[in-house]
Amino acid sequence: MQRYFRLVLFAVVLLVVLAIPVAAVLARTYFLAPTAQPVKAQPIQFPHQVHAQAMGLDCTFCHRGATTSAQATIPALEFCMNCHKVIPWQGRPELEKLVQAFESGQPVQWTKVHQLPDHVHFVHAVHLNFGFQCADCHGDVAAMGKPGVKQVRDLRMGDCLTCHQQNNARTDCSVCHY
Amino acid sequence: MRRREFLKLAATSATGAVLFTGCGSIGNGNPPSEFKIESPVWNPNDLRYGRDAWFATAAPPSIGGYGIIVRVFEGRAKKVEGNPDFPINLGRSCAKAQALVQELYHPDRVGAPLRLAGQRGSGQYQAIGWDEALGQVAGLIQQAPGSTLLVTEPLNGALGAIVEQFVRATGIQHASLEPDERVVLREAMRRAFGVESFPTLDLANARFLVSFSADFLHTWISPVQFARAYGAFRQGRPDVRGTYYHVGPRLSGTAANADRWLPIRPGAEGLVALSMAQVMLEEGLVEEANAEPFFKALGLTPEQLAADFAPERVADATGLSAEQIRELARAFAEQRPSVAIAGTSAAASTNGLFNLVAVFALNYLVGSVGSEGGLILNPASPLPDELPANRSGDAYRRWVELARQIAGGQITTVLVHRANPVYSLPPASGFQDALRSAGSVVSFSSFLDETTMLADLVLPDHTLLEQWGLVVPDPGPGYQVVAVQQPVVNPFVDSRAFGDVLIQLAAQLGKPLPWPSQEEAVRALADTLRGLGRGNVAADHPRAYFVTMQAQGGWWDERARAGEASPQAATAPANPEFSGEPGQFPFYLLPFPSDALGYGEFSHLPWLQGLPEPVSTNVWGTWLEVNPRTARDIGVETGDVVRVVTPQGSAELPVYVNPAAMPDVLSVPMGQGHTAFGRYAEGRGVNPLELVAPQVERETGALAWAATRCRLELTGRRMRIARLEGQVPAFQLEEFPIIQVTRPRT
Repeated sequence: MQRYFRLVLFAVVLLVVLAIPVAAVLARTYFLAPTAQPVKAQPIQFPHQVHAQAMGLDCTFCHRGATTSAQATIPALEFCMNCHKVIPWQGRPELEKLVQAFESGQPVQWTKVHQLPDHVHFVHAVHLNFGFQCADCHGDVAAMGKPGVKQVRDLRMGDCLTCHQQNNARTDCSVCHY
Repeated sequence: MRRREFLKLAATSATGAVLFTGCGSIGNGNPPSEFKIESPVWNPNDLRYGRDAWFATAAPPSIGGYGIIVRVFEGRAKKVEGNPDFPINLGRSCAKAQALVQELYHPDRVGAPLRLAGQRGSGQYQAIGWDEALGQVAGLIQQAPGSTLLVTEPLNGALGAIVEQFVRATGIQHASLEPDERVVLREAMRRAFGVESFPTLDLANARFLVSFSADFLHTWISPVQFARAYGAFRQGRPDVRGTYYHVGPRLSGTAANADRWLPIRPGAEGLVALSMAQVMLEEGLVEEANAEPFFKALGLTPEQLAADFAPERVADATGLSAEQIRELARAFAEQRPSVAIAGTSAAASTNGLFNLVAVFALNYLVGSVGSEGGLILNPASPLPDELPANRSGDAYRRWVELARQIAGGQITTVLVHRANPVYSLPPASGFQDALRSAGSVVSFSSFLDETTMLADLVLPDHTLLEQWGLVVPDPGPGYQVVAVQQPVVNPFVDSRAFGDVLIQLAAQLGKPLPWPSQEEAVRALADTLRGLGRGNVAADHPRAYFVTMQAQGGWWDERARAGEASPQAATAPANPEFSGEPGQFPFYLLPFPSDALGYGEFSHLPWLQGLPEPVSTNVWGTWLEVNPRTARDIGVETGDVVRVVTPQGSAELPVYVNPAAMPDVLSVPMGQGHTAFGRYAEGRGVNPLELVAPQVERETGALAWAATRCRLELTGRRMRIARLEGQVPAFQLEEFPIIQVTRPRT
């Protein structure tokens, strides 16, 4: 045993050294997965809980493009103000930000939560018209209050392909990469 | 290798691998804006993400004022196409109109009113507010309205109506600038046919076309209209393929389309035309009755024509043989309907007016004036009092006089809109120096061009895709047409429409104009069209009428055509004169308007800079076209830089050896040589106007830019000409040898 000690030690050290990059790559994949990301900071902490759950608004009430076009679309501030001009906003910091942005004519730059990989097209209207619900991909956004919306589904190519196969949708490249 | 060394190496590389994998994250290299999504403040009413909208509007009057449609995607103008409903172009468009989107989103656009913050010409400006800018301009006009000069392009349509009202209300002076050959053509139309408007051609029914130097497929008055008609002329009929001869000193892209090119000396177009007439009359190829208006237009008698213009007498002066002139005359007389046009360099000689009148009068001889397959004259504007159209620009002679008045202090304030006199007038006019010493200069340009660089105040105008207007296309399709121009996108920067600015200035001066804004002026004038009770728009309610007109792209009445034409005044034959002794300056210098850049008003758009000239495929520069034999004689080849010396000045240009160039004619494209006008135009090539002697057309006083002689001096330097084709020689592949067709041995 004594005789082989140095050889065993060498083998162990070698394995450890070789395992480091493998572990690092696996860890990176795990920690950088979209679903593993912390909730992103937004310029205004918009509570979906209040609008979609407590008040029961349909998602497409605000995200009007979802059923007709590629993008679900974020409403214009003008649209928010249709209601918020009559809802008291004084002393409520998040609402003050909205009113201030509207009055100064400054668009609000939201941080994108669902960032698809590069070189892919996703069309909301097609998926909704097929019969999917918003929650199938976005999770129960209505239950997400402050600090904001979190991505619950991977939404990378593997995820897309799995779902397309399950639903007998086409999986050739040009379906999404065009 | 020892074990210890191996371990060291393994550990180092493993750590390195870990470090490098750790660097960067998903989406690295994407701009931060990719991770943002915006809530706009206002909901654009037509905004549908992922869907496009097409709006009809009008191309600028200077390229034909035809109807275009613009694809707008999420509030951004993306693509310009021809309006398929518009009678002039029926869906066709040109590169200049297509490049309008680049003007809209140009990185060097003036984004707000500017005030000079340094020396005049330094280009140092400071942004100011609109109220301050308007106040300053109003103050300048108020000080001395009589010594204020407004420079614009020729008045046309709704904007022309506003300018006209403004000039009348405030009592300022007005001058309009356009390429001088158009001034000559306008006068020729007036004299030969008694009309103010440019003519069109019924090529779809013609069998023979002869163009005297007119570059009608690329730059001459309305290229889109003529190019479309030319397609019908050549390929639109199953049994007839129209024949086209080109007579002129340069093989332009247009001339390269011809069945036959007859190279002649610059300025000899009129002489060839008279000689053709002599042959036709002598050989009895035309009816005697048709000859009367021809002789009236030229103030000649049949005896004078027979005596002085027989082919044998003029052959030497034209550069053709007598037999060539006879063949041309016979082809023209026998293949009817035939039509003859002249323009471009034919108008830019000292005898330009004679050249044009002589050629256009040929149409009288073959009975082609106003008849099927001939030269179709256009009627006046449908609202002659309200909607200006077919106005002529001021001739070079007047600009010299204006320059003298500015330098002498009789004119203290110069306002400039959509004109660049510092670039477009040759330095010999003295305009640039005069403007440098002028009291105040105000520019309404969207770009810091050469004239704007001398301005004290810049009040940027909207681009064409952002403003309202009515455009009366000149030439029309043979009947009355008005194109509607509407904003297809919201203003991109803090600019204001020129019409709005004039209306606000007039209000500040206490002389309000009849309309509150440019848009209201357009709507009011459109409603006056409704009052005519004719045309294509079928709607009674003013709003419905205007919306229908907007959707169709304009108003037209196919029954409103021009009346009978007859010559109004005689234009006597004249020979071209050239500046420079033939002994000292052996070559003719022939500038030509660039197919893509025109006279330089489109040089700021990179798409057009990159559009190859059709014959040489040269891009992004200026070159000198030299005949191969001439090049061999003086010992130069393509890419050698030579100094072109004229009595007026000199410039260094690269030689482009062109087998189709005439031995004693050196051609140079116009459009380059800008010292300002944005990053794509600046410091590129040479402006041939700097070489041109200030020769004027004898009768109109227009600049004769093709009336200068030159000589060449070698510099010993070389440069690479940016060219699309011919830079890389063809090479032979081993597996697939290039097949050579050889004559079979007998």
